[in-house]
Amino acid sequence: DIISTVEFNHTGELLATGDKGGRVVIFQREPESKNAPHSQGEYDVYSTFQSHEPEFDYLKSLEIEEKINKIKWLPQQNAAHSLLSTNDKTIKLWKITERDKRPEGYNLKDEEGKLKDLSTVTSLQPMDLMVEVSPRRIFANGHTYHINSISVNSDCETYMSADDLRINLWHLAITDRSFNIVDIKPANMEDLTEVITASEFHPHHCNLFVYSSSKGSLRLCDMRAAALCDKHSKLFEEPEDPSNRSFFSEIISSVSDVKFSHSGRYMLTRDYLTVKVWDLNMEARPIETYQVHDYLRSKLCSLYESDCIFDKFECAWNGSDSVIMTGAYNNFFRMFDRNTKRDVTLEASRESSKPRAVLKPRRVCVGGKRRRDDISVDSLDFTKKILHTAWHPAENIIAIAATNNLYIFQDKVNSDMH
Amino acid sequence: MEFKLEAHRIVSISLGKIYNSRVQRGGIKLHKNLLVSLVLRSARQVYLSDPCPGLYLAGPTGTPAVPPPQQPGEPVAGPPSGWGEPPPPAGRAAWPEPEPPPQRPMVCHTPGAGSSEPVTSVAGAGDALRGGETDSAAAACCPPAREEQPVGDGSPAPPAPCPRKRGAAGVGGGRAGCPAPGSTPLKKPRRNSEEQPSTTDEDTDEEMETGNVANLISIFGSSFSGLLRKSPAGGREEEEAEESGPEAAEPGQICCDKPVLRDMSPWSTAIVAF
Repeated sequence: DIISTVEFNHTGELLATGDKGGRVVIFQREPESKNAPHSQGEYDVYSTFQSHEPEFDYLKSLEIEEKINKIKWLPQQNAAHSLLSTNDKTIKLWKITERDKRPEGYNLKDEEGKLKDLSTVTSLQPMDLMVEVSPRRIFANGHTYHINSISVNSDCETYMSADDLRINLWHLAITDRSFNIVDIKPANMEDLTEVITASEFHPHHCNLFVYSSSKGSLRLCDMRAAALCDKHSKLFEEPEDPSNRSFFSEIISSVSDVKFSHSGRYMLTRDYLTVKVWDLNMEARPIETYQVHDYLRSKLCSLYESDCIFDKFECAWNGSDSVIMTGAYNNFFRMFDRNTKRDVTLEASRESSKPRAVLKPRRVCVGGKRRRDDISVDSLDFTKKILHTAWHPAENIIAIAATNNLYIFQDKVNSDMH
Repeated sequence: MEFKLEAHRIVSISLGKIYNSRVQRGGIKLHKNLLVSLVLRSARQVYLSDPCPGLYLAGPTGTPAVPPPQQPGEPVAGPPSGWGEPPPPAGRAAWPEPEPPPQRPMVCHTPGAGSSEPVTSVAGAGDALRGGETDSAAAACCPPAREEQPVGDGSPAPPAPCPRKRGAAGVGGGRAGCPAPGSTPLKKPRRNSEEQPSTTDEDTDEEMETGNVANLISIFGSSFSGLLRKSPAGGREEEEAEESGPEAAEPGQICCDKPVLRDMSPWSTAIVAF
C-alpha cells in the first residue's frame, strides 16, 4: 500500500512506516555481527499491525480515512517502545513489547512420579521472539478538522496534535480531555484565509512550538505566555517576490512541512519549490533558501490541473544539521549540504538500488546542453513522488518512501556525521 | 487576451476540483479547497481586469471581500453601461434564498439600452435568485426578458452538460453583470439546478462559455465559503441551520463547517459540489 509516513525512533534502531491502509510496519536494524560483516545494520521487518480502521461519522455523513498521517516515537523509558500514530481524527498510543521467554512446565510430578519441588514446576524457557503490540491509549474526538501533525514534547509527558485550524495539547496518560492552545478559526468561516499546515515542539524547550500556515508563514509560540497561544511570540515570514507572482503564488508558498534542527536553533520549511532554513533569531527572512525543482515554476498550471501542486513534501535534517533532504518527482530526492553549498539529486528506484550499489547522482536538464544521463523536465514522471523521507538521528542512513516501496540507503564510507 | 483565456481555463479547472472534492473519500479537505478558492479568486481578478474587446465582463458586482480591480461599470469589452452597479460591500453575503418561484418579477435596472443580452443574463440570474435578492440590485431582471434567452452560447448545447454552467452563470450574471453581446445567453436556472447534481464537470468545464465563466467568477469571487456548499438535499435546512453552530451535525459531506451562504441560491444547489 502507499506509504504515508516514515519515522526513525530516537536511537535509529527502529523505523516505523504508516500507510494508506491504516497499517504500521516497524523495521529493526540488525545488530552488526562480525560473522557477516556485509549485512551490518540492515533493517528487517520487526512488527506489523493495523493501527487505524476506516470509520464512518454518521452524524456528518463523512467517511474517515484510515490513512496514517503521522507517526511519532516516544522516547524510550523502559524495555517497551511506544509510538503515537494518527489518522485524520484519532490519535493512538501503541506499546510495542518483546516476548522471548515463556513459562513451561505444569506437571507437579516428574517422569518418575515423584513430586517436584514446587518452586521448580514452572520455568521460563526461551522461545522465538514475539513482538506484541497493543493500543494503550486512544485520543479521540479532539479534532473537527483533519489532523496534519503530531509532536511529542521534550517533557515526555505531553504532546500536541494539529488540524487545519486548531492545535490541541494532550497528556499522554489522559485521553478524555485535551487543551486547545491555538485556534485560528475565524468567527465567520467566510473570512478564512489561512490554515495550519504543520506544527512541531521545540526539541529542548518544552514551552515552545512552531506552526506553519498555508500562507507560508511560521509562528513560534510560547505556552508560558498565555493559555491560548493565538498570539505568536515570533512570526517568520518572507515577503513575496513580486516578480514571481502568478495565479498559483499562494499555493506554492504554502508550507508543507516544518522541522526544528536537532540543535533547536534553526527551522527547516518546505514549500512547493524550495526548502528554507530559518534562524529562530531572525524573523524577517530565511537564512538559506534552496531550490528543489525550480524548473517546475513554468509548469505550475499543468501541475495545478493534475493536482500535483498540492503534493505535500516533507523535509529532514541529518543528525548534525549540516545536510538537509527532501523529496521531489520521478522518485528523485535532493540533499543540500549547508556548509559546502553543494547539492545532489538521487533516485530511488529498483534499478539503481541493487544491494550495495552506489547511487548515481541524477540531473534534470532544462534545455540547453543535455548530458547523456540527464532527464528532461518533460519526461519526469509526476506520479512517482517522494513525499516522505527520514534521516537516522545519528548516522548517514536515510529512509525514502517511494509510493509503496521503502528504500533504505546507508552511507557506509562516511558513516559518521561530519 | 491570453491571460483571459488562461484565467478562464483556470476557473473551470478550479470549479471541477471543488466539485470533485465533495465526493472524495475522507470528506472535504479544507486546506486544498482554500487554495483552490484562492486560485479561483486570482483568476477571477485577472479575468475581470484584463480588458479585452469582444469579451464581456460579468463584473464582480457581487464581490465582496476582494474588491475587483475594476468596477463593473468600467469600460471593458463594451458591457452596456449601467448594467451593474457595484453592490454594497455586504453584497456578497446576499445570496438569494432558494425559494420556489423561479420567475420572480424583478426590477430591471439595466436600461434596456438596446441590448437585450444584459437584460437577459440578468434575468437569468434573477431567475436563479429566486426569492429574496436583497442587495443585488444589479441582479434585477425582467421576467419577460428571460424568455428571450436563447440556449447556449450560440451552440445548441445539450442540457445535461451545460445547465450547471448556465445556472451558475445565471446566478452570477444576476449579481455581476451581463454577458457581452454574442456571448452565451443563459438558460433557465431552474432547469440548471435540477440537472446539476447529475452532471459531471470535467468536460463541461471546458465547454464553459465566457459569459457563464464570468458569472461564476463573480460568484466565487465573493468568498471562500461560496465555494463550499452543503449537499443540495440538506441545503435548505442548512441554510437555516447554518448559524446553529458550525460544528453541529450537518448533513452532507463537509467535514468542517463551511459557512452556508446567507441566501442560498439554486445555483449553489446546482453546484452540488460546492
